[in-house]
Amino acid sequence: MAKEKLATNDDIGLEKRLELYRLQIEIRDAEKRAHDLFLQNLIKGTSHLSLGQEAIAAGFGVALKKGDKSFCTYRGHAHTLARGTPVEGVLGELMLRDNGLMRGKGGSMHLTSVEHGVMGSYAIIGAHLCIACGSAWRAQYLGEKDVTACFFGDGTTNIGAFHEALNFAVVWRLPVIFVCENNLYMEYTPISEVTAVPHPAADRAAAYGLPRILIDGNDADVVYRTASEAIAKAREGGGPSLIECLTYRHSGHSRADPAKYRPPGELEKWLERDPIKIYRQRLKDFGIGQDQIDAIEKESMRKVDEATAACKAAPPAPVDLLTADVYADGGWAWRN
Amino acid sequence: MAESIIMPQLGETVAEGKILAWFKAVGDDVKIGDKLFEVETDKVTVEVEAIAAGKLTAINTGDGGTAKVGMTVAVLDGEASAPKPVLTAAAAPVAAAQAGSSPPSPPAAPAAPKSFSAFDEVHTPIERYGSAKGSGDIRITPLARRLIAQRGIDVKAVAREAQAKGLRKIEEKDVLGFMSAPQVSAAAPAPAASTDLSGDVITLNTIRLRTGEKLAENWRTIPHVFQAIEVDFTEVEAVRLRHKERFRQETGTSLTYLPFIARACCIALQAFPHVNAQFGNGRLRLSPDINLGIAVDLNHNGLVVPVIHAAQDYTLQGLAKAIARQIEKARSGKLAPGDLSGGTYSITNNGAFGTSFTTPIINAPQVAILSSDAIRKKPAVVDDAVVPRLMGTLGQSFDHRAFDGAYAASFLSKLKNIIETKKWAGELGETT
Amino acid sequence: MAELSYRDAVIRAISQEMERDNNVVFLGEDVAKAGGVFKATVGLYEKFGPHRVRDTPISEQAILGAAMGAAMTGLRPIAEIMFSDFAAVCFDFIANEMPKLSYMTNGQLTCPLVIRTGNGAGVRFGAQHSQSIENWTMMIPGLKVVAPSSPVDVIGLMAAAVRDNNPVIFHEHKALYSTKGEVPDGEIVDTLGTAKILRAGTDCTIVALAMMVSRALEAAEILARDHGINAEVIDVRSLVPLDTRTILGSVAKTGRLFTVEENPRLLGWGAEIASIVADEAFWDLDGPIVRITTPHIPLPAADHLEDLALPNASRIVEKIARVMNG
Repeated sequence: MAKEKLATNDDIGLEKRLELYRLQIEIRDAEKRAHDLFLQNLIKGTSHLSLGQEAIAAGFGVALKKGDKSFCTYRGHAHTLARGTPVEGVLGELMLRDNGLMRGKGGSMHLTSVEHGVMGSYAIIGAHLCIACGSAWRAQYLGEKDVTACFFGDGTTNIGAFHEALNFAVVWRLPVIFVCENNLYMEYTPISEVTAVPHPAADRAAAYGLPRILIDGNDADVVYRTASEAIAKAREGGGPSLIECLTYRHSGHSRADPAKYRPPGELEKWLERDPIKIYRQRLKDFGIGQDQIDAIEKESMRKVDEATAACKAAPPAPVDLLTADVYADGGWAWRN
Repeated sequence: MAESIIMPQLGETVAEGKILAWFKAVGDDVKIGDKLFEVETDKVTVEVEAIAAGKLTAINTGDGGTAKVGMTVAVLDGEASAPKPVLTAAAAPVAAAQAGSSPPSPPAAPAAPKSFSAFDEVHTPIERYGSAKGSGDIRITPLARRLIAQRGIDVKAVAREAQAKGLRKIEEKDVLGFMSAPQVSAAAPAPAASTDLSGDVITLNTIRLRTGEKLAENWRTIPHVFQAIEVDFTEVEAVRLRHKERFRQETGTSLTYLPFIARACCIALQAFPHVNAQFGNGRLRLSPDINLGIAVDLNHNGLVVPVIHAAQDYTLQGLAKAIARQIEKARSGKLAPGDLSGGTYSITNNGAFGTSFTTPIINAPQVAILSSDAIRKKPAVVDDAVVPRLMGTLGQSFDHRAFDGAYAASFLSKLKNIIETKKWAGELGETT
Repeated sequence: MAELSYRDAVIRAISQEMERDNNVVFLGEDVAKAGGVFKATVGLYEKFGPHRVRDTPISEQAILGAAMGAAMTGLRPIAEIMFSDFAAVCFDFIANEMPKLSYMTNGQLTCPLVIRTGNGAGVRFGAQHSQSIENWTMMIPGLKVVAPSSPVDVIGLMAAAVRDNNPVIFHEHKALYSTKGEVPDGEIVDTLGTAKILRAGTDCTIVALAMMVSRALEAAEILARDHGINAEVIDVRSLVPLDTRTILGSVAKTGRLFTVEENPRLLGWGAEIASIVADEAFWDLDGPIVRITTPHIPLPAADHLEDLALPNASRIVEKIARVMNG
């Protein structure tokens, strides 16, 4: 009886629900694979996982349309995958191989896939909020109907560019959605220790004349609904939104961080609220059978395995890429 | 889709490889497994096979060139040097907007000439023109040093004159002043000519005097070794005869054997870079370009060696024209200083006079010089039969400090092989 | 042909490009209704309207970020940073974001935009509003750097910068806004990366930029008249790309190189040119390469002290005559 009731009241619909789960699982599997590949020393440099934060990227991934633009940070594997970017391109870039999204020239912190609307991952946080404004300004100026979503962490709210971008977007009424993923820690330091307000984004919305939006970032349905509303508002010319999503990072800041600074029991508490776990139950509540869930999970793992094999077999990029694309003519020349 | 052909890793400690010869040329179709090029490292010499198929569209590292492991030495199928299209979400609308009403964009930055690479952003000259120190506390500016060296002036004499004038440094103007003043050679006194002879006394001109001083110095200081090899010019002659008339009509100069020899030298020198070099201060400086000197006799009244810079970039036909141009400039006294500097290898050609062989003196700081002599029909043995073939002797003097006889001989052998077997017709525009 | 001020040339240049291409938009602080603090954008707002000419808050990061985001998605923005000194508050965009975009994304994105900024001294604004920062920007791969010295170059190089597919920083010299020059009628488009020989000479080469160009020319006349030195004067115009061919060709002829730079000494743009010439043209040099710069000090506001700091014709003459004839 409960199932039926929920089903008839479902504003999201079966297709989108399965898509929300598929994206979360695929992001989770790809990131766990990335973690395994570190351990095998196949991923060099740094890498920042968002295990536990998948619901936000997935919620927006389903709510955004093709042609919409998204900007994210160095912790951007999830947002890149959520727009439909193939796993192989992402893992290949993490492994700095020729099959990576940027053939190894950018690395894990700069994942970009323009054809999927992924306009870049920005590793010096803050700047991309301003750049997202520019993307939204272009749509407004040309009368194009796409919107721009910009993801960032709680730490970004204390940098000047955050405040410049918020004010600018509101004053120019730009079709941009700012999404703060508050995972409680900037890098290693609890965000509450270094921020004047309890909710680093939501509590500042008022300063820019925006409504306070604070949501459960571990529930993909909640994220999807909030995202859809903000996107619709932006698309209709209603201007920007600032959304704070509460969530938690299951792993450390980067591969170098064992996250020893977390109080005992905190992780365990949040694991109870793991977005995958929540959503698997949600699907069951809506009467979706275990076999269908299993099929999604199996298909995701198959994709990730296939991508991993392709990446392991992929060569490094040819060395002439070293000097390619310094300038827009494809070359490097600064003199005649 | 362009495929890069890279210099393969040929051993764990090998950092670079030298391409001895390409088996494919630009424009050739390549199948998987085709032999592409022969590469030599300090460990091995191997033939590299294609692992992808397509049309060879560019060779970045030619015969004799060296490339680091992993560098692209050639390109299959793609456009080698054309800038790649800019892939951007913006490209389409912007291009459309520009195509509409506005004139085409002006060219962007002047592209770097092809000879620049990102690791050679500034070209350091390889020429050396001696020390900044004159005698005593006199200092000589780089430009003055270059002029002194290029014009074969005795640096000590210039320094003495500068000191006499109370100068502490020698600049361009001092060198030019020295040259315009009447000079008594201040070099080491030559043995006085015997006064017993009753014939005419010839006063040697300046070019002859300076050439003589330099040759004497080179003969005295360089351990010369001379080697010669017999070369069959029969195939060259066949091609030459077919194109002689057309060539004369098109260029106004005759197509002699010399351009064939020069072109073959350029190819062989790329495989033997130590021959194309300058020696000084105990170091052999290899030249990336072949700056080919051609000895020109000034009507038995002096000798100059004008240089064709980057001669490896010319085809046979282009080289023939460049040689003719330099000889003409030399004979009409129109050579600029740049025409005489930077030589890395020289050819002297006495063939017209019927000589059998010549042992030339090396033009330091170069390390070798080739002589070509008369080419005429001689009995030769081909497949155990004695047949008339067009034969010539190519001789080379080399500086034994720079390399050994085996290296020099290998070079001569390569040179012979190129002259005898190269498809010369292709270089003259014949399609076969 | 008409006489135009450097200031009006900026207006004409932006106007020319905005008329030509609807994707060209212009933003900055006080640039629209107020016409710019240097009055170098007067009339653009009236002509092109509030959608294309936009006032911004005092938010240099937002200005450059918005310009970049718009550029990488299809527009060709011109952004004003009022004083070039303020580049330091938005240097993340100039040094990290714009110039690396094409490279890091393996050419997926480009950043066709122009940052115009009031550069240089001579207007008694003191240490934080008078700097010549062209060398700060010259050091960044992926960025192009232009600094015109005359009204006609302002128009031609601005047009070239707007049409270029790379981020270009366009240093306008504050003290030149009121200077005038002849400008032909009609559309003017120049080429980035080309220096101009403004005075032919045989004895030495003087390379100058922006406000230093007129001072170098003045010095060259005095050197010819009083010292018998016939100097060739080159306006380098564009630091990236750099027209080394013109400079090296001139040095091959004269054997001597002098740079005249408004920036403080250490690693001014002339140091790079000196290094290239010392290397590539070593055997053409008939004497030391000499750089004439502002001393390595912040700039004072007091007029007599500022005048003392910047290279002027008499200092240039004195230095060159001493080195050449000394």
